Amino acid sequence: MKKQSLHPNPLIIIRLLFLALLTNLSCLAYAEGKPVRGQVLDETGHGLPGARVSAGETAIATVTDDEGKFSLEVPVTTRILVIQALGYERQEVEITQAPLLIRMQVQQQALGEIVVTAYGIRRNKNDLPYSAQKINGQEITATRESNFINALQGKVAGLDIERNNNLGGSTNVVLRGIKSIDGNNQALFVVDGVPVDNSNTNTYLQQIGSVGYDYGNAAADINPDNIESVTVLKGAAATALYGSRAANGVILITTKKAGRPGFGITVNSGFTTGSIDKSTWIKYQKEYGGGYGPYYESPDGYFLYRDILGNGVDELVVPTSEDASFGARFDNSTMIYDWKSLDPNSPYYHKKTAWKAAANDPSSFFVKPFSSNLSITAAGANEDGGFSVGYTRTTDKGITENSSLIKDMVNVSGSYKLTKKLSVSASANVSSINGKGRNNTGYNGSVAGNFRQWWQTNVDIKELREAYFREKGTNATWNYLDPDYLFPIYWNNPYWNIYENYENDSRLRSFGNITVNYAATDWLDIVARAGMDAYHEQQEERNAVGSVETPSYSRYNHNYSEMNYDLIANFHKQLSDAFKLSGLVGTNIRRTHHESVFSITNGGLVIPGFYALSNSVNLLAPPEEIDERVGVNGIFAGATLDYQSLLIADLTLRRDRSSTLPKSHDAYYYPSASLGFVFSKLLPENNILTFGKARLNYAEVGNDAPAHSITDLKYPRAPFQGQPVYHIGYTKNNEDLKPERTKSTEAGLELAFWRNRAGLDFTWYNTHSVDQIMAIPVSGATGYNYKYVNAGDIRNSGMELSAFIAPVKTRNFSWMININYARNRNKIMKLPDIDNIQLVNWGTPTLNAALGQPYGIIRGTDYVLDEKGNKIVDETGHYLISETADNIIGNTNPDWTGGVSNTLKYKSVTLSFLISIRKGGDVFSVDRWFGLSTGLPAETVGNNDLGNPMRNDIDDPEHPGGIILDGVKEDGTKNDIRIPVEYGTFGDAYNPDKAFVYDASYVKLRELSLSYSLPAKWMQELRYVKNIEISFVARNLWIIFKNLPDADPEDGFSSGNYQGFQSGSMPTARTYGFNLKFNF
Amino acid sequence: MKKLLIFILGGITLFSCKKNLSDLNQDPKHPTEVPAATLLTAAQKSLGDVMGTPDYAFNPFNLFAQYWTQTTYTEESNYDMQFHSVPDNLWRALYSQAWMVSAPNPDVYSEILSALHAAKVGLQKDNSPANETAKQNQLAVVDLLMVYAWSTLVNVYGDIPYTQALDPDNLQPAYDDAATIYDDLLKRIDNDLDQIDINDEGFGSADVIYYGDMNAWLKFANSLKLKLGMMLADVNPSKAATVVSEAASADIFSSNDDNALLRYESVTPNTSPLYIQLVTTGRKDFVGCSTLIDAMNALNDPRIGMYYTDSAEAGEGNYAGAPYAENNSYGAWSHIGDMLLDPQFPTDLLDYTEVELLLAEAAERGFSVSGSAEEHYNNAIRASIAYWGGSDADADDYLAQEAVAYTTAAGSWREKIGTQKWIALYNRGLDAWTEWRRLDYPVLTPPAGMSQSDIPVRLTYPVAEQNLNGSNYNAAAAHIGGDRTSTKLFWDVR
Repeated sequence: MKKQSLHPNPLIIIRLLFLALLTNLSCLAYAEGKPVRGQVLDETGHGLPGARVSAGETAIATVTDDEGKFSLEVPVTTRILVIQALGYERQEVEITQAPLLIRMQVQQQALGEIVVTAYGIRRNKNDLPYSAQKINGQEITATRESNFINALQGKVAGLDIERNNNLGGSTNVVLRGIKSIDGNNQALFVVDGVPVDNSNTNTYLQQIGSVGYDYGNAAADINPDNIESVTVLKGAAATALYGSRAANGVILITTKKAGRPGFGITVNSGFTTGSIDKSTWIKYQKEYGGGYGPYYESPDGYFLYRDILGNGVDELVVPTSEDASFGARFDNSTMIYDWKSLDPNSPYYHKKTAWKAAANDPSSFFVKPFSSNLSITAAGANEDGGFSVGYTRTTDKGITENSSLIKDMVNVSGSYKLTKKLSVSASANVSSINGKGRNNTGYNGSVAGNFRQWWQTNVDIKELREAYFREKGTNATWNYLDPDYLFPIYWNNPYWNIYENYENDSRLRSFGNITVNYAATDWLDIVARAGMDAYHEQQEERNAVGSVETPSYSRYNHNYSEMNYDLIANFHKQLSDAFKLSGLVGTNIRRTHHESVFSITNGGLVIPGFYALSNSVNLLAPPEEIDERVGVNGIFAGATLDYQSLLIADLTLRRDRSSTLPKSHDAYYYPSASLGFVFSKLLPENNILTFGKARLNYAEVGNDAPAHSITDLKYPRAPFQGQPVYHIGYTKNNEDLKPERTKSTEAGLELAFWRNRAGLDFTWYNTHSVDQIMAIPVSGATGYNYKYVNAGDIRNSGMELSAFIAPVKTRNFSWMININYARNRNKIMKLPDIDNIQLVNWGTPTLNAALGQPYGIIRGTDYVLDEKGNKIVDETGHYLISETADNIIGNTNPDWTGGVSNTLKYKSVTLSFLISIRKGGDVFSVDRWFGLSTGLPAETVGNNDLGNPMRNDIDDPEHPGGIILDGVKEDGTKNDIRIPVEYGTFGDAYNPDKAFVYDASYVKLRELSLSYSLPAKWMQELRYVKNIEISFVARNLWIIFKNLPDADPEDGFSSGNYQGFQSGSMPTARTYGFNLKFNF
Repeated sequence: MKKLLIFILGGITLFSCKKNLSDLNQDPKHPTEVPAATLLTAAQKSLGDVMGTPDYAFNPFNLFAQYWTQTTYTEESNYDMQFHSVPDNLWRALYSQAWMVSAPNPDVYSEILSALHAAKVGLQKDNSPANETAKQNQLAVVDLLMVYAWSTLVNVYGDIPYTQALDPDNLQPAYDDAATIYDDLLKRIDNDLDQIDINDEGFGSADVIYYGDMNAWLKFANSLKLKLGMMLADVNPSKAATVVSEAASADIFSSNDDNALLRYESVTPNTSPLYIQLVTTGRKDFVGCSTLIDAMNALNDPRIGMYYTDSAEAGEGNYAGAPYAENNSYGAWSHIGDMLLDPQFPTDLLDYTEVELLLAEAAERGFSVSGSAEEHYNNAIRASIAYWGGSDADADDYLAQEAVAYTTAAGSWREKIGTQKWIALYNRGLDAWTEWRRLDYPVLTPPAGMSQSDIPVRLTYPVAEQNLNGSNYNAAAAHIGGDRTSTKLFWDVR
């Protein structure tokens, strides 16, 4: 590559940016760089290739060549070089005029990275008596996923992340299984010591797959480019200090900060595009068109028979009202009138066409997604302080037209030493998220559900697109009620849905903290911190005049704020040569306020296309108002006693008082005790086991009640005949609630071998979550649908394994494998008075928490089997269906999950890829339940055992159709009854729910990146530019294995407790693109 | 620096002491107590919504009665009740709370027995002397509506939780024997009759059925007693005779003015449930069914033009119904009449026509009532035609026909009364289905592939009861003879 080609525009822009920064930050004046040269040697005195040499803690860095040599241009203010290499101790050397010769020391305990633990305490991982796993920022940004949570998938053992295919969709984040039957099970997100809200505001109807948009989770506002590292604290012992909200584990995020003196800028820019993965979309049959059967007016019964042209001749008309494909067999010689020939504005008006399968099926509805990102971060520091600023903009366009998600994120942080003892630091993060055209999910709302469940295979999607754009403002649809009634009966034109009935949303958020640190003595620090997280969001939804739905406009405004005030005294004292004591005493005051207003027009819209509440046809009903405040006052203390880094004991205790509990039970305690034993210290020096530690701990944490669940409330409804109306609500509240508790025991083993060429971290745990606070569904005969109670016990036990190995490590080539594996077994040990809690009701199939079963079993109707396990058919030849719907037909929990990531480096080329695996767990496919009924997938056509088309009439004298189901008759003999293939034969009508439960296992090539750092010697010729890395990134390239036909088994509706159902599943997008990263 | 720390510490302490922590948990937007009248209004509207809705997920009975049939999705017409969880929905709509219509239409909730129970508890607690006389009347109104709802539940499911129901401290209420519940309901009506003082106030305008007219409620009580008594006529004729003659000799409905109607407003969400489901949703799920339309065509029934629109295929002024439970195209057949699509179209809970037909039946059964069966039969038909907007001349012409006139119409009294009751109960599918089960007329058409015995004679219990109240569910299922749609209710002995 010629250097000139790199010179032009970007550099000029960067220089200008530089100038701007310099003017503002004169104290950190940057002068011309100075060259530094040297060689890095290994323990034997040979040159060490591949070592990273950086100017202080900045991004100005290079990598040593084959002989261990390097040369780097550093700012003149830089006085220290940092050298890091896998398996060696980190070295810092002062820069001298002469070439440097640096000898590296072999690292004795390579696992000993610094991790951040509860309340921001930095500890050496070797000393931790509980499980914690750390992910570096580079791993999160490697494939430029705009929601950083998704980028954690497969990288942390036991972190169960379920994402879905919605643009900006929500991501379910659960650690070590579902613990709360009714409550929140999502992990707590903490940024720089301050909790950050991750709730989603999706409606209940959206979460259970009925109707609604997926607005995603709020933690997606965290800028991935600003993340230095993420530490996942999985068990209660690690999190007990956080009190009420820590039961579900904590994801601790440390943002980038200026480190040692110096100055640097990083610029990232890239884009990705892609296409849908066809294995996640339905493959349509192409032999039969629209209709439910021979029920209509034409002689053969498959068509309407109308005098379309007014010439007294009845002609064949497609039954447009029928959203199924059990109609007439396609035949080019049959000339018909279809939806477009009924529409007077269409060029096809009153024109007959041949009866044939659509040239463009609904897979053509999806377009190439496109996303781009630009991020700039700058950091600088001197002896007294430092700053970091960053700006990131990402734009995502989804796989449906008219959809986009734009994020602008600004981060500022700084710290300054006011005196020798007193320092202050602050950070502020502002994000603005603007979404449009997120997809409507679920059975009643989604376009994908329309395509998968209720469709005519003769309808050409491109013709629908043409009709929409030709006739803007009219809903010209394939699903006209009747040739005499040209308006939609059940389904809009899908383009009408996405261009007229779209949503838009925005969220403006700021979070950050101010911290004062006072080093009172050499053994005591006092930290005072105020943290704030506040956002305002607005969601607007519309149904245009002309839609199937009542025209409407709705608006939801939500304000959230959380303030946290911490005052913590940290102490650390060497008690004797052998004993070291450290600890903290602190208080935390938390206040959250959540308020929202939802209002919707009533009875339609007066002016079409005008979306305001005032445009309501009738007077507005009272808006729904929510106003919830929660306060928690906590005090806590913790102590760590360290004996020669051999035995480490941790004890913590926290007491919380929560406003959501009755006054008499509002205080409660969370104790934890942990012990770590570094047994490798007792072993003789050896070349095999480098490090070994055993851990054991016990902890209790709790959850308080949801706000307003103690006293019964009344709910206003629209007045009727001028009279006020109140309802009593469907949930019985309870004045006797007490906190629910999770009791957790954890044991673990950490090992490192062969000078850290390989290592593993194994954890076993067992948790009991007792006295659960839940609104249990109750028999309607009680007068309520739910009641809050304090009862039940869920056990989660499981194991987690993370391991790494470097099979190859030579001068030019290295290969690193990281493996994560987790299995969790969840069992409901106790329920209050009842033996089952129905979580979601889909008709006969239901999602349940049943006694003695894991959380999230699917119940429904089942086959009736004989003793040998054969399916029994009834006298008509259809499968017998169990009379009751309480049979267990599936379990949504996976047997295990895992991830394998590989990183291969050859000189300055790095290839890394991540395979993520889920084994087991079931999903109920509503898409298949109905889609097979309506005859859409290819498997609903074909030949029967006689070699005849199975859809032929069963009584056809020459070529009888029909099929014989595999099974036995009630008398035990083999089934020989032929049944017709008609609407319902393969779907919901004639089959038990069990037939639509699928194994949700998958093996996916989730991430792939190939990056190339331009050689350091080229950089030297580019002033200012220290490093340029170009990478190819790809996500979701290949679903290597799955058992669920036509959809991605991972896809769901929303984050939350209702998983394991699919309806209107969006196809998965394979994405790939390029990213360019500059360091200055 | 110490000053700074003291300041910070002080600030935190101050903040934490500022407010009592538990005060934060008070909901500033929702009250804990409300006047009983606001709950009564809610329950009355809900009762009208549930009994009047054509939503096949709650009330598929206009299909069962073969007044209408479905166009594309024919599950309920084919008696598949699980597809839309009909038993669960109707159960919750009557007992606790159900969400009947959700956004983007304004939400409509049903809350009947639970709201009435809360109103009753509230009234009993209210000891203000000013309200003492009205209180007895108010309690009677609340109780009568509860009796109406309880009898509806029994008539749909059979045995139901009754004595242990509506108590959130008992999450698994046992089921009571249906006949025993009926006995208690009749006792409660008598008790309410004793309690009503027609000279005192009731709920006033919060009562959106009779607007506080206690005399009207007295008539309602006797008419309801007449109806429940007649339900026992086949299973316990002696008890039925006593109850019916008691009711018939008291003050009962004597004209259409007495009808128990829930009148709707012209704008959503307070329009009729028919308007919401058939007009605002834009769906076209129903067409007229040939079973009723053919019967009315044959009788030249003057009400047909109110019940249905004319059919595109049959031509102006002609009515054609679609075959029951088949897949039908909307365009070809008669649709639901425009009168029913008026946003203010009321839900009819109990009416004079029905009372007269009950009296006709009582006369035929030899119960002690005044007047002949024919007189009551004629009064009923005249009242029904008038209710639907027909003239006296229409009624005269209609009654003059051989096939209609009581003396000449074909069949037994069961068939004559049964057929006219079926026609008169149009759009009151649940009552029509109940009377079909009791009187065994008219002859309904089973869907293709089914026989007469496949037509449900009850709804199965909700799936939720299997999951949430399992042992009591099993006991109840065993007690009634199996939780099937073919299990006959206790009064359905013929």
